[in-house]
Amino acid sequence: MKRVVSLLFIAALLALLLYVVANMPPMGDPENPTNSSEVIKRYLNEAEEETHCENVITGIILNYRGYDTMGEVTVIFCALAAVLAVLGREKRGKIYAYADRSRVPSSAIVRTMVAFLVPFIILFSIYTILHGEISPGGGFQGGAIVGGSMIIFTTIFGLYESSQRIPQKLRAPLEGSAVITFFIVGILGMAGGGNFLTYAWPNIATNLQPSVVTWLTILVEIGIGLGGAMVLISILFSMIREEEEIAVAP
Amino acid sequence: MGAYRHFPILMITIPLLCAVLMPFLGYLRQKWVAWAALIPLASSTILGFLLIGKVPPDGYISYHLGNWAPPWGIEVRVDFMGLFLMLVVCCISFLALVFSRRYIEREVSGGRLTAYYVLFLLMSGAMLGFVATGDIFNLFVFMEILALSSYALVAITGNRNAVRAAFKYVLMGAPSSIMVLLAIGFLYSATGTLNMADLAGRIAESGYSEVLIVSFILFVIGFGVKAALFPLHMWLPDAHSIAPSPISALLSGLLVEVGAFAILRITFSVFTTSADNLMAGTLDAVSIFAAAAVLYGGIMAIMQKDLKMMIAYSTVSHIGYIFLGITAFTREGLAGAMYHMLDHGLAKACLFLCAGCFIYMKGYRRIDELKGAWRQMPWTCFAFALASISVIGIPPTAGFISKFYLIYGNFTSQRWPYALVLLVGAILAAVYCFRVIYYMFFQPGKEGAWEENTRDAAPSMLTPIWILSLGTLFFGVFSGLIIDSLLKAAQYLL
Repeated sequence: MKRVVSLLFIAALLALLLYVVANMPPMGDPENPTNSSEVIKRYLNEAEEETHCENVITGIILNYRGYDTMGEVTVIFCALAAVLAVLGREKRGKIYAYADRSRVPSSAIVRTMVAFLVPFIILFSIYTILHGEISPGGGFQGGAIVGGSMIIFTTIFGLYESSQRIPQKLRAPLEGSAVITFFIVGILGMAGGGNFLTYAWPNIATNLQPSVVTWLTILVEIGIGLGGAMVLISILFSMIREEEEIAVAP
Repeated sequence: MGAYRHFPILMITIPLLCAVLMPFLGYLRQKWVAWAALIPLASSTILGFLLIGKVPPDGYISYHLGNWAPPWGIEVRVDFMGLFLMLVVCCISFLALVFSRRYIEREVSGGRLTAYYVLFLLMSGAMLGFVATGDIFNLFVFMEILALSSYALVAITGNRNAVRAAFKYVLMGAPSSIMVLLAIGFLYSATGTLNMADLAGRIAESGYSEVLIVSFILFVIGFGVKAALFPLHMWLPDAHSIAPSPISALLSGLLVEVGAFAILRITFSVFTTSADNLMAGTLDAVSIFAAAAVLYGGIMAIMQKDLKMMIAYSTVSHIGYIFLGITAFTREGLAGAMYHMLDHGLAKACLFLCAGCFIYMKGYRRIDELKGAWRQMPWTCFAFALASISVIGIPPTAGFISKFYLIYGNFTSQRWPYALVLLVGAILAAVYCFRVIYYMFFQPGKEGAWEENTRDAAPSMLTPIWILSLGTLFFGVFSGLIIDSLLKAAQYLL
C-alpha cells in the first residue's frame, strides 16, 4: 500500500515536471525571458567594467550577488557545525597513535609520492584562488583542492600525522574565515559610504576605486578558500576520529 | 535616510558572524560560549526595536546590497509585517537561549555544547534573513541554512530516537528544498529576474502561465513541508517532541511560522493578487488541507499521552489556522494570521519550555505523571496554564484576538464552513489543554511522584517562561498597539 501511494506520488510529480518542461521557453532562443531581460544584459556587457573582474562569473557571485555567496559560505560552515553536533570534534591535546587499518600497510612508493605531491597540490590551489577573478577558479574550488590534498595525506599517513600539521587551534579560528571576510568587506563598504558589501567605496577618489575593488575581491577569494579548506579538513577529521579512537583503545 | 537603513542587514549578519566566531571561543573558554551567544541576539533585538516607527504600515525599507539597484543586486526589503515577524523571532529566540543555558548542559556535553550555540545562532540569523529578504534566490539560501541547522539541532542529543527523528526530518526536508529550488528555476526561466518586486510586474505580463502555475504549486509544497501543512506534517511530531525543549520552542514557535510567512510572501508579493487566476485552484486546495489540519491536529493532540507530543500536534492544528487566515484573502484574515504568528509563537514557546522544566526537574514526560504538579512547581504550572488559555483563545489573552480576526476574516469572505472549522478547532484545543490543567491542579499526585522538597525550576529558567506567558496576556489586553497597523499593512498587501 505504502509503495503504491509513493509510486503514484512520484508519477504525479513526474507528469507535472514533464508538463512544465514541455511548456518552458525554448532553450537558447535569444527572445526568451532569461536572455532578453535587462538583468542578464547588464551582467554580460558591463560586469567587467563595473566589478573589475575579467571572469564575469566571479564578478556576479562576489559582487552583484555577494550577499547570496555570503549565505552560501554560511551554509558550508553550517554543514561543519552539523557534523560537529552529531559526531563531535576530536579531543584536543590527546595524541593519537597512528593506526593503520588496512591489512597491507601503504608501500614506501605511495608514501613518498604523496609526501612529494601534496605541496604541489597546495601550490596549485593557491594559484586557483588568486586567479579566480581573471580565469576559471576561485575560492570555492581552491579550498576544495586543499581539502582534497589533506584527504589524500590523511588516508596514507593517518589522523595523527595530519592533525599534528593542522592542529585544532589553527582550524578553530579559520573555519569561519569566509563569513568573517565577507562581514569585514561588508562593514568596510558601509564605512566607505556605501551599503553593506559595497566594493567601490563612494567616499574615495574615483581613480582609486578599481584597485580597491580588485583587492577586496581577492581578499574575499582568499577568505572563502581558507574557510572552505578548513571546514573540509575539520569534517574529515571528525568523521574518521571514531575509527582511530577505537584503534588506539588500550 | 539615516543610519537606521543599515539596521536590518546588521540584525541578520551579526548573529551569523558571531556563530562563526563561537568555535574559537569554545576552543579557548568553553564556559563563556553560553554567555557570549546572548550578545548577538540581544543586539539584534535592540536594533529591531529601534526600527519600530521607522517602517510605515503601508510602506517598506528597501536596502540595496553592494549599492546595486534591485534587479541586478540583492535587495533586503523590510515591510511592516516583515519587521513584526523579525521582532517576534528575535525576542523568542533570545528567551529560548536564556532558558537553554542551564537546560542544555545536562543533555549535551563537551564540544557539542559549542556546536549547539553555533547552530542556534545560525538558525536565528537565518530566520531573520529569510523574513527580510526581497530576493527569491536569497530566500532559498537562507532556507538552506535554516533547514540544515534545524536538522542538526534535532539530532544534537545523539540518542537513537533523536537521530531517527532528525533523519525523518531530513527525508522530508531535503526534497522540499529541491522543490523550492526547482520552483525558483522555473520562475526565472519564465521571467528572467529574481527580485520579488520585479517578478511581480513580470509575472502579470509573462506568457508562460503553465510554468508559473507549476512553479507556484512547487513553492506551496516546498514551503508547506517547512511549515508542516497537514499532509506534509509527518516530520513534525517526532522532531518537535524529541528535540531538546528550547529547540522545540524554536521549531514550533518560530520555524513553522516562518515557513508559512514564506508562502504569504510568495502569494502576495511575488504572484500578487492580480495573477490570482493562476493561484485560485492551489489556494483552494491549501484551505481544504488547512481545515483538515485544524481538525486532525486537534484530535491527535487529544489522543496523546506524552506532553511534548501533545503540544507538537497542537502546532499542526495551529498552522492550519494561519493558512486559513492567509487563504481568506481578506484584510482581517491576513492581519489575524500575522497576529496568530505572534501569539502562537509566545504560547507554544512557553508551553515547550514548561515541558522542558518538568523534564529537567523530574524527568517526567507523560501527561498523567503531572498529576498534582502545582503543589511542588507552582510557577511553572501557572505559566503553563496561562499559555494554554492563549492557545485555546479565551479572552483576555492574545489567542482570543487572533482567533477572532481569523474567524471574522473568513466570515467576511463568505467562507463560513472554514469559520466553523476554526471554532471547532478552538473547542478541541480546550479539550486537550484543560485535560493537562485538570491533571496539574485538581488531581492528587501519585504516591512518591512529588516528594515534599521538590523545588520549582531555577529563576534563569522561570524568567523566560514568565516573560512569554505574560506576553500572551499583554498582547491580548493591549492588542490595539499592533492590530491596527497590521490591518493597514494587510490592506496594503492585498
